[in-house]
Formats: sequence, structure tokens, C-alpha cells
Amino acid sequence: MITMSENDTFDQILDKLNEINEKLDRLLQDTNNSNINDKDKESIISNSMDVMTLISLPEHLRTTATTLLKLEQATANEIAEITEKERAVESNYLNQLVKLGYAYKFRKGKQIYFKFDDNVN
Amino acid sequence: MSFTLAVHSSKGGTGKTSIAINLAGVYASEGYNVCLLDFDFKAPSFTNFFKIKPRYWINDVLHDRCSIKDAVNDISNDFDTSGRLYVGLTDPDIESIREISSKDRDWQAKALRFLIRAKKELIDSGIDVVILDTSPGIDYESINAVAASDYVAVVVKQNYTCIKSTEQVIDGIYNILHKNCAIIENMCHDGYLYPKNSKNQNTPVVESIPCMCDITAKTDNDLIVFSEPDHVFSKAMYKISQNITKMG
Repeated sequence: MITMSENDTFDQILDKLNEINEKLDRLLQDTNNSNINDKDKESIISNSMDVMTLISLPEHLRTTATTLLKLEQATANEIAEITEKERAVESNYLNQLVKLGYAYKFRKGKQIYFKFDDNVN
Repeated sequence: MSFTLAVHSSKGGTGKTSIAINLAGVYASEGYNVCLLDFDFKAPSFTNFFKIKPRYWINDVLHDRCSIKDAVNDISNDFDTSGRLYVGLTDPDIESIREISSKDRDWQAKALRFLIRAKKELIDSGIDVVILDTSPGIDYESINAVAASDYVAVVVKQNYTCIKSTEQVIDGIYNILHKNCAIIENMCHDGYLYPKNSKNQNTPVVESIPCMCDITAKTDNDLIVFSEPDHVFSKAMYKISQNITKMG
């Protein structure tokens, strides 16, 4: 049987978790927009993942990028299932694609998704 | 089983279109549902073969003006195939050719994603085999088609220039994109096979089609696999289809 004080504790944990979620969302937003002046933004927007760029990527990033192209949007876990690499490895490669300006990430529920430019609906 | 095959070549005039169209006919006659798409935007030729006036072109799909299902036409009844046979045409109008030629890499990046999405839609709607007839050489349209495909059939004409440039596309494009690739030798003379000392020894030669003077005229506006199923060229198409299916 759950007592009143246990209920309070659960509520407090839930509040804290929601707070952490909100902070993570803000951090993600900041990471996407941080230190990017207008000129940089232009160059990032033009960093399209076209097929010639795909061919010129190093092998490890190319495999990740090819898989993301096929899935359109995906979590590191979904990419790892296809490439048969560790989730952490794919997460690292996906974040490299974000840093290079080819992809961006966004939160959907509790998951972090990666996607190439947002102009294709 | 479902797969996408790009019919490509490093140089022009190798017979890609005749092979792509007749291969589509073979697969459809064998009971597969086939969708054949013209992906040669610089020199479209399907309007010569298929006397249809499409509501939408493949150009419209890449411009996001329509879905792939709007741009393909069911021609199964014209050939009485046991599987369904659909064809998507590219606009031969000079304005459309100019329009595609002027597109930048951002547009080409989107075109690749629209193509990947179109392929998924076709497979999800019951198409077994998607065949993309590409432009020759290395340009955005042809390499987009290669990137979106599972297999590449590279058509080689038996001369040194064509063989050398084929080695380049195999090593520099197909292998880098991890594509299953097969060589089709076309217009071969006796005993003149793809050189065994070529750099592409791991790439299988699925068929060597002899040089035949009548083929150019007979494949200009007709599917020879239906009009002359016993022709050497038609038999070669059946052999290629079996060998490509085995690659899976």
C-alpha cells in the first residue's frame, strides 16, 4: 500500500524529471542555435546532403548518412540497428553530421531524432 | 522480393535504354509488377517508345508537384504481361531540359530524397521491380538514381575508352556507395570479352550481347522481347534478368 508521504515523493520525482526534460529541450535548442551568426547560418543552410557530398564523406559517416537518407528521420538506435554498430558510435557519427551542418536534431517525446534539412516535408 | 535497378553506363550510346525497356518487359512477362522510370532528363527518349500523354512527368515528382503514383502510367494491357507494367516518362520539352540542367546542389539534394521516397511508395504499393534508365556518365541525375537503387547494371561497349571510364565509375561511385553491380557487355564482337585483367575483376559480367545491325532499328520504338522473343537480343534479356535476380 502506498502511503501519503510516498505519493508526495513520487510527485516530487515526477516534477524533477519534467524539469530535467525542459532543461534538456532548452539545451538542445541552444546547441542548435549557439554561436551561429547570420553568415554561418547561410553556410549551414547550404550544406545540403547531395549525392556528390555523400560520396566525398569518409566511409564511417557515409554509411550513417546513407542510412539516415533512407529513413528520412531516425534515432541513433534506429540507425545502429541497420548499420549493426553500437548506438553510442552512431550517436557520435550523427552528431558529427550535425556539427558539419548537414543534419540537425530534435526531440520527439523522450527520443532525440536526426534529420537532414527541413525543406523536404 | 523487391528491388530497384539502375541501368547506367560511363559513356553514351551503349544501349542502356533498349536494355532497360526490354528488361522491364521481361520481368513483367515473368509475373513481376514492374515500374520503369526514365531518369535521363538531358536526353529523354521514352516518349518515342510509349505513345502516351502523361498527366505528370517524372520531372514533376522531383519538383514536388505530384506523387510518383500520379506520374506512372499502366501499360500492362498494351503488352498483355502477366505482371503489371508501369512507366514514368521524362518531359522531352527543351524548357524542361534547360530547367533541370540549371538546378543547384540544394535542389539535387532534395531530388535525391524525393526519389528515395518515390521508390519506397512504389515498393509499398506492390511494385516488385523498379528500373531506372539513367543518363550516361557522372552527373547529379544519374548518380542520384544509382544512390537510390539496390543494384546497378553498367552497360559497357567494347572499346578502351568505355572500359577505362567504366572502371572509374565502378571504383569511384558504385563501390563507394556499396552497390551490387553487374556488367552487361553490349555490341560485342567475337571473343571480345570484358578484359580479364581489368581492375573490376570482382564485378560479374552477367551477359555479353553480340553486335547486331538490326537491333538499333528494332529497339527504336518496340519491345523486341515481345515482338521477337526468340531473337538473340531477347534471349540475352531473359538471361540478364535471371542473373540480376540471383544477385539478391
